[in-house]
Amino acid sequence: MSDVDVMRLFAMWMLAHEQADELMKAAVARGADAAREGMTSGPDAFTDGLMAMIAEEKDRLKAGLAGGAALAPEAQDGRLEELRFEVGELRGRLDQMQASLDAIALHLGASQA
Amino acid sequence: MSVRSRRIATTLGRHLRRASARSVRAGLAKGARLQAFAVEWREAFDELGGAFLKLGQLISVRPDEFGDELASEMSRLRDEVAPAPYSDIAAVIEQTFARPPSALFDSFEEQPLASASVAQVHAAVLAEPCRPVWGAELPAGSKVAVKVIRPGAADALLGDVAEARSIAGGRAVRALTRGIDLLALLDEFEASIRRELDLRVEGRVADRFAFDFRDDPMIAVPRIVWSRTSSRVLTMERMYGWRLSELDDAELAGIDAHGLAVHGATAFMRQVMVHGRYHADLHPSNLFVTPDSRIAYLDFGIVGHLTDTQRGDIAQVLAAFVYRDADRALRYSARLGVRVPSRKVPVLRRELGELLDVTPAGPNGDFRHFGLGFLRLLRRHSIAVPPGYGLLVKSLATVEGVARRLYPDIDIMETARPFVTRMIGTSIGSWDLLKERLPLAWRAAMRELTA
Repeated sequence: MSDVDVMRLFAMWMLAHEQADELMKAAVARGADAAREGMTSGPDAFTDGLMAMIAEEKDRLKAGLAGGAALAPEAQDGRLEELRFEVGELRGRLDQMQASLDAIALHLGASQA
Repeated sequence: MSVRSRRIATTLGRHLRRASARSVRAGLAKGARLQAFAVEWREAFDELGGAFLKLGQLISVRPDEFGDELASEMSRLRDEVAPAPYSDIAAVIEQTFARPPSALFDSFEEQPLASASVAQVHAAVLAEPCRPVWGAELPAGSKVAVKVIRPGAADALLGDVAEARSIAGGRAVRALTRGIDLLALLDEFEASIRRELDLRVEGRVADRFAFDFRDDPMIAVPRIVWSRTSSRVLTMERMYGWRLSELDDAELAGIDAHGLAVHGATAFMRQVMVHGRYHADLHPSNLFVTPDSRIAYLDFGIVGHLTDTQRGDIAQVLAAFVYRDADRALRYSARLGVRVPSRKVPVLRRELGELLDVTPAGPNGDFRHFGLGFLRLLRRHSIAVPPGYGLLVKSLATVEGVARRLYPDIDIMETARPFVTRMIGTSIGSWDLLKERLPLAWRAAMRELTA
């Protein structure tokens, strides 16, 4: 059995990687162009559009990491706000029920007087 | 037969006979005949008033069931009626809160701001501060709008529905409305009337809407004063600005019309794609542009709801339009309940492809043409459309129309593209989908490699 040519194996791996990278960059460019020009035709256009959006997400991720932003607290803020809203809704219902109770009490008071 | 029943029957009969005579006399083609009937239906509903104005509104958002001609004609109906006397309105408030308006508010305008068949709206000023469900406190002295259910409105509207139901069963009416399930429409209508007669429902929807758009300073939603609200009275922050239906060229010149149009359309896409609840009655008189160039939403009477799965499927149907893919549109419409018999699939796919081909793309793109054309296509092939699907398509077409009123060259689908693409992209991460699709993807890749 002949020895594996490691140099050639890595070269093939590098070439495949390079070609995939070029195809990906081309898809991102097509997707970005389509977004500028409006609708384009065919299901392939969707994949290009998706690639362009993923590239934007990557840029945001890069900027966030460079700025030292952490991801988890955002989600926590969302849950906290949702909870605040639910409490607000409950308060609204209580305010409305209190107004109804006050009205009933006033009506009863008026009928007993 | 009651007096009202007789009036309904004679009014409908007179208008429909007129449409029929005109169609025969002028030898109208099918399209013109449908239009002639639509005009007479609309005039009859206008003349009958009451519940018929509301019924017309419901028909106007359901082109899938009633056709473009009738839906579009009914959208011209304006729910405006002579105001109820102030004493009647004050009596409703006093029955509800056991105190007169003067004791509840710092001031209360006797002249209404608007008057419709279900409720009328009066301007007032808060006597006490109010902490709303979401947003900053409304201090004492804040201007508010008080919506009050008109006395007798419930009995009159539900009475009209009962009368209409007895007439709808008649042979002559059934013959005239072939293909339309009038009794199902009346059931849906009665449910929507009952919802509208409880103003707390509208208040809760407004609160949720304000919360959903809490991070968007360009969207304004009136804050609700719950301590002055009941099923028959809704007190909310008063909004100022111009109704879109009232904006003239001079006012349009003073605002960022393009920015507002794009933002309004994007906000709608967000309602559909992110929150799964959307304002389904966005005609120009329900939208304000505020002096500081924000979009204010009013009147949350008709709201559409979507489950997570439906949102994903709708994203796919929109993607089909954006990316001109007829197969995708049919596949995901089926998941949304549009059942196409297999023998009709090839012809429908071809006709849908033709529709996509003739629908302009880019800035001249026309969702209305595609969306309503698709519904028409389904009707022509006698394929039932689920109510939610028709409502959404009509709402999208309306949003496009409203956005174009602000900025004629807007491409509404361009605003949908990021939401749609993101939604579909995110769904790729679902484990169930991966399990279903990875073997297929692997097989397709091997087929390509070994071809």
